[in-house]
Amino acid sequence: MKTAYINDIAYTFEPGETMLSFVRRHKDDNLVPTLCDAPNLDPFGACRVCSVEVALEEGGPVKTMASCHTPVSEGQYIYTSTPSVQKLRKNIIELVLTDHPLDCLTCEVNGNCELQTVAAQVGIRDVRYPAGDNHLHKTKDLSHPYMTSDFSKCINCYRCVRACDEVQGEFVLSMAGRGFDAHIIKGLDQSFMDSDCVSCGACSQACPTSAISDVFQSKAIQATETTRTVCTYCGVGCNLDVATNSGEILSITAPYDAEVNQGHTCLKGRFAFKFYDHPERLDSPMIKRNGEFEKVSWDEAYTYIADKFTHYKNTYGPDSMAGISSSRCTNEENYLMQKFFRAVLQTNNIDGCARVCHSPTALGMQRTFGTGAATNSIEDLKYTNCIMVIGANPTDAHPVTGAKLKQFAMKQDNVTIVIDPRRTEIARYADHHLALRPGTNVAVLNMMMYYIIDEGLVDESFIKNRTEGYEDFIKELMAIDIDKLEAVSGVPREQVKAAAIAYATAPNAMSFHGLGVTEHSQGTFTVMQIADLAMLTGNIGRRGVGVNPLRGQNNVQGSADMGVQPHQGAGYLDVTNPEINKRYNEFYGSELPLHIGYKIPEMFDAALDGKLKAIWIIGEDVVQTDPNTQKVIKALNATDLVIVQELFMTETAKQADVILPGSSFLEKSGTFTNGERRVQAVRQVVKPIEGTKPDGQIIVDIMNRMGYSQPDYTPDGMLEEISQIVPFFAGIKWERLGQNGLQWPVAPDGTDTQILHEQEFKRGLGYFEFHPWEETQEITQHGKDFPYILTTNRELEHYNCGAMTRRTANEQILKSDYLMINPADAESHLINDGDFVCIESPRGKVDVKARITDEVKPGILSTTFHFPDIMINNITGDVHDSEAMCPEYKVVAVRIRKSKGKFKSLLQDK
Amino acid sequence: MSENLSELLGRKGLQENLFDKLGNLAQPAGTPDEEALALLASEFLIGKANTYGTATFYDFLKPENKGKQVYVCNGTACECAGTQPGVIKELKKQFTEDQIGHMCCLGRCHENSAFHYKGHNYSGGAIDALQQIVKGEEKHHSDMYNVAASHEPILTAAFTDVDTYYEPWLAVLGQDSADVLEEIKTSNVRGRGGAGFPMGLKLEFCRNAEGPVKFIICNADEGDPGAYSDRYLLEEQPHSVLFGMLVSGYVTGANHGILYIRAEYPEAVEIVQQAIDALKDRGLVGSNIGNSGFDFEFKIIQAQGSYICGEETALINSIEGQRPEVRVRPPYPAQRGLFNRPTVVNNVETLAALHYIISEGGEAWKAIGTENSSGTKLVCLDSYFNKPGMYEVVMGTPMKTVIEDLGGGFKEAVKAVQIGGPLGGVVPVEKLNELTLDFESFKENGFLLGHASVVSIPEDYPMIKYIEHLFDFASYESCGKCFPCRLGTKRGHELASKAIQGRETIDRELFQDLLTTLEQGSLCAHGGGIPLPIRNIVHYFDDELKNYFS
Repeated sequence: MKTAYINDIAYTFEPGETMLSFVRRHKDDNLVPTLCDAPNLDPFGACRVCSVEVALEEGGPVKTMASCHTPVSEGQYIYTSTPSVQKLRKNIIELVLTDHPLDCLTCEVNGNCELQTVAAQVGIRDVRYPAGDNHLHKTKDLSHPYMTSDFSKCINCYRCVRACDEVQGEFVLSMAGRGFDAHIIKGLDQSFMDSDCVSCGACSQACPTSAISDVFQSKAIQATETTRTVCTYCGVGCNLDVATNSGEILSITAPYDAEVNQGHTCLKGRFAFKFYDHPERLDSPMIKRNGEFEKVSWDEAYTYIADKFTHYKNTYGPDSMAGISSSRCTNEENYLMQKFFRAVLQTNNIDGCARVCHSPTALGMQRTFGTGAATNSIEDLKYTNCIMVIGANPTDAHPVTGAKLKQFAMKQDNVTIVIDPRRTEIARYADHHLALRPGTNVAVLNMMMYYIIDEGLVDESFIKNRTEGYEDFIKELMAIDIDKLEAVSGVPREQVKAAAIAYATAPNAMSFHGLGVTEHSQGTFTVMQIADLAMLTGNIGRRGVGVNPLRGQNNVQGSADMGVQPHQGAGYLDVTNPEINKRYNEFYGSELPLHIGYKIPEMFDAALDGKLKAIWIIGEDVVQTDPNTQKVIKALNATDLVIVQELFMTETAKQADVILPGSSFLEKSGTFTNGERRVQAVRQVVKPIEGTKPDGQIIVDIMNRMGYSQPDYTPDGMLEEISQIVPFFAGIKWERLGQNGLQWPVAPDGTDTQILHEQEFKRGLGYFEFHPWEETQEITQHGKDFPYILTTNRELEHYNCGAMTRRTANEQILKSDYLMINPADAESHLINDGDFVCIESPRGKVDVKARITDEVKPGILSTTFHFPDIMINNITGDVHDSEAMCPEYKVVAVRIRKSKGKFKSLLQDK
Repeated sequence: MSENLSELLGRKGLQENLFDKLGNLAQPAGTPDEEALALLASEFLIGKANTYGTATFYDFLKPENKGKQVYVCNGTACECAGTQPGVIKELKKQFTEDQIGHMCCLGRCHENSAFHYKGHNYSGGAIDALQQIVKGEEKHHSDMYNVAASHEPILTAAFTDVDTYYEPWLAVLGQDSADVLEEIKTSNVRGRGGAGFPMGLKLEFCRNAEGPVKFIICNADEGDPGAYSDRYLLEEQPHSVLFGMLVSGYVTGANHGILYIRAEYPEAVEIVQQAIDALKDRGLVGSNIGNSGFDFEFKIIQAQGSYICGEETALINSIEGQRPEVRVRPPYPAQRGLFNRPTVVNNVETLAALHYIISEGGEAWKAIGTENSSGTKLVCLDSYFNKPGMYEVVMGTPMKTVIEDLGGGFKEAVKAVQIGGPLGGVVPVEKLNELTLDFESFKENGFLLGHASVVSIPEDYPMIKYIEHLFDFASYESCGKCFPCRLGTKRGHELASKAIQGRETIDRELFQDLLTTLEQGSLCAHGGGIPLPIRNIVHYFDDELKNYFS
């Protein structure tokens, strides 16, 4: 251990540690003031107020050095507070104040301004310089719905520029001019709104003054309370600090000590919270009578529901009822929902949104490894040499992880492979982009594995010691027809080979995948191939490797963990296994069915067959987001009782018979499990909006109403129950979760797990199983008449059906869905940018505005379903993953023409 | 300084260089248009703010440069000589005010009246032929200066021919590179760019750094007003520089040599390129040179007008196409330099010394000069001398010898000289006799050898005006990154201006605080160095200045 001295007292330092870090670790944070330093940014050395004096011996001759970027050396004497260094700091701040408005009392950040604090610390009483040139005339930029700037307050510390670069990787901000004229710019010296800003707010949080801020004035100190909770928008699981005053949410910032997001988050997490008290929030239970919703009391609603459920159960049997739980809700709520269906109604007809997103991931990884969850953690990016991103657009859909992947991809010595039909943001930075035709993942991955084996790059010892099935697998794999697969995928074999070699030769390679893998007819097989690739190259069971699905909804991992699926109960236990059934029965004090229940698509089919009498849907807009909208609507219409528990009157809620007003993540406590199996505490920030209840309490109320005794909803009480039945939750207790949660499996003593399958797979040996590529029925049946392929994607600004984000100012940033179309296709159909394009599939047609871009190749189109006025799912199809029944949103056979100019959709026609 | 930008710009390598492209795009109009900047941003994946931010930094890329046709030198020597108002008056007869820009400096300090027109520099009597120059009739531009050496010429030795000159290079290729490095270390040659860092050590650091890609950069951004020794070497002895880079490459394992030559020296760019072509023709550069297995390629990058690019990390950023703001150290360029790869940046004159060291041995070089300042040094004398020009002087030679014997003494009454560029000391003439030309003597006496250019301050030139000029230069050329320099040089300039205008006297305590803040607080030698000449002036010319202070 090496030592150096701080003000003549010896302390130990870590190799490479900066003087500033050394001093702050051992002494008070404020001993050495800083302005350009920030917790999540590299040392920059601009402000120089962190200067200290350094001598080689006690009291020896000193040299002034900036502590933020100077490493400590053995035996150095660092003096933090000598008169001369204090004077230097004061003189620097005096210079800063020659070009800074002294309007602190009316400034937005009064009391929370780093310049103000440092000026106070150094004891400035006077600015001695005569008035000179300055930047006080700079005007504010209020162009953007969230971001604001007032560069008269700028001190040129570059923290915003560096945050935009080092954290978000967007490069929207820089400096222009030089010397005294140097000034922050956005883009080509544009406004925030006109720039390419992605509104992540990293610059605002980084700015030590109010030079860059946001409309919520998140650096103001009016808040009386700050609550740490977890974002509801995606599977990344960003921690958020929510500031409130008198029960009103003022603003959100990202805590620097959050292991998941280290002080960063995206515009959804940081800014898109104003939906929570939006005037359109549902605020009373309602029952539809004579086609009109009538507000009713909770009591009446509960009685109505309980009576109907009892009636259907007695008359048509338990399987006449089904539930769709919500991955937006907490683990505890999901647990309760499946418990209600299994233990109270006694049916396994419970499913969740994972069905339409990552069900193939859970199934495929279970088949190969034994566990349907990410094998590693996002932190492993620090330890990897190669990332392979397949069918995922993380910079839009998982922005904080996306930003980290982008940071990785920018480095010259790292290898980035992207397999995606679209030239996504991450693909622009990738070394290898395999722009395959949608629906050919299996083809390309088989080619990759072929080349890895052909080139002799397999990890023989891993295969020998840790896997089974390899002999049969390799026999079939090496017989694939490369010519054919190259032709169907449209990816030259040299490109596939180069990517395969890059993945196989990297010391550590990680894969990340999204819905571009799962939402296909061969989704589960693709997941298994990704797992095979990892096994083939020994990329499993240590830091910096593994198979890492980017889970979509904030708690989609958790909802499956909690048993929201028809074939596995809480803890992924097989419902058909009599021993497990016995255990559940004893634990729940009920008789649970031994047969598998309906998956979501099967629920709709059952409804259309007249077999489904009741469906209870929580927080899932199946009408807008499930494929083949008209079929979904028909199915709901065919169901006697449709209960929709929601925040807003969604397209699905409109079809309901009973509406139950739930509450948002800001209004309740519980846990969410992120995509890296991290169970984190969601803490109530404000009370539920009047007239609403936490979803968990609603379920508990109905359970009790139906005669099942279930204590009131509390996170600690629920976790106590869950930890007794879900094996990998054994050690999870509310009070153990702390600030950063625990990654399951958690042992009874509280030890959590960052990496799975280190010594052996959950299923023992990893299992190789070959599957050949097969063309989807969508193409074989309709490809001839509908020659274009439409695929679907997500936009950064909106979340899924947009029920929440469209009720925030995000709506001002992105106002509608649009269709990406290649310039060549646009030209051949005489389509101009902004024209409405009529897209027609065998199911119907919709009109969408065109955005001409070479992000998609000719013949490929892509669009979103964030807006109910487009309802793109009117045209998506009925093909599902052969194994997990996940719908094939990613391949829709369509034809296009320029719309007659009139905007219309099927729904509006009706 | 952005690690990501270095990485992204490094992906394209040197052939697709952003900075080159920006320079080319600025060619027709004087500044690249916004559409072009946006396209470049998307080509390099670095965001529009970065291409715009870079363009607005440089004198010859920034939007204000649009439409500029002719540039007047505003370097210190021309300023002190007082020739430039007359030049501007003449130029205004042919050009509108908007078409006239500034360059600092053109390195014509020996005869002044310098200006730049369409890629050529003119000085001395050329302004009288302006009409013919503009018409394209007058191609000849006078640029005559004396070249001599105090002893046997080394850097100024007459060039023989390429084949003979590169014989030692072919010999080096047959040697163990460790032995070659040892020879350089033995010579104890120190960097001629100003800081005086031992070259052998720098090469060794880079040699020891890991990585398949390394760079040798020749810092030919001789921005010090008053200095034209690098220009002399580039234009008259280009092979000495190229030779030094080749040997540096061989010693460190670098395969790329970049000459970063200032825009103000257009002739040097042409001449060096011809010299490189001559080496290519003979197979003395390229792949597998002389069957040695060693590869080396040269590339010239033309600067775009910014003094700070002479600072090595700013220079590296500049080559990358980033804003040339100074980087923090560590990491040092030898560890992570250009495109975050191990890099050696050496001054022109330092590189030029290697031919002698390699041919004659390190001991031979070490034997010349003093113990800690080995070898010879080029000294430029300005037009106040009877014999202005370029003199090669053995280190340790008394300044009296340089001034009187080589320079022939002053033409007119001079009260002080500034030696070593704008950050060098201001030496009152009576102090000159106490100095010898070497690093130690200057340092001990409170000055700085720097690049050893000599600019004379005539008797009638007010010292407060000189202070203002220095602050003006420092402020104009500050990169703007660190607070002390960005703000301090500006406020210093304002204090001096206000004092000259008689509006406000300068508070002595405030002025001392300002100088100390710059000295102690600045990130690099630009802000850190400007107080030295000013303190010299305040110290030695207190009497002249006292009315300006209170």
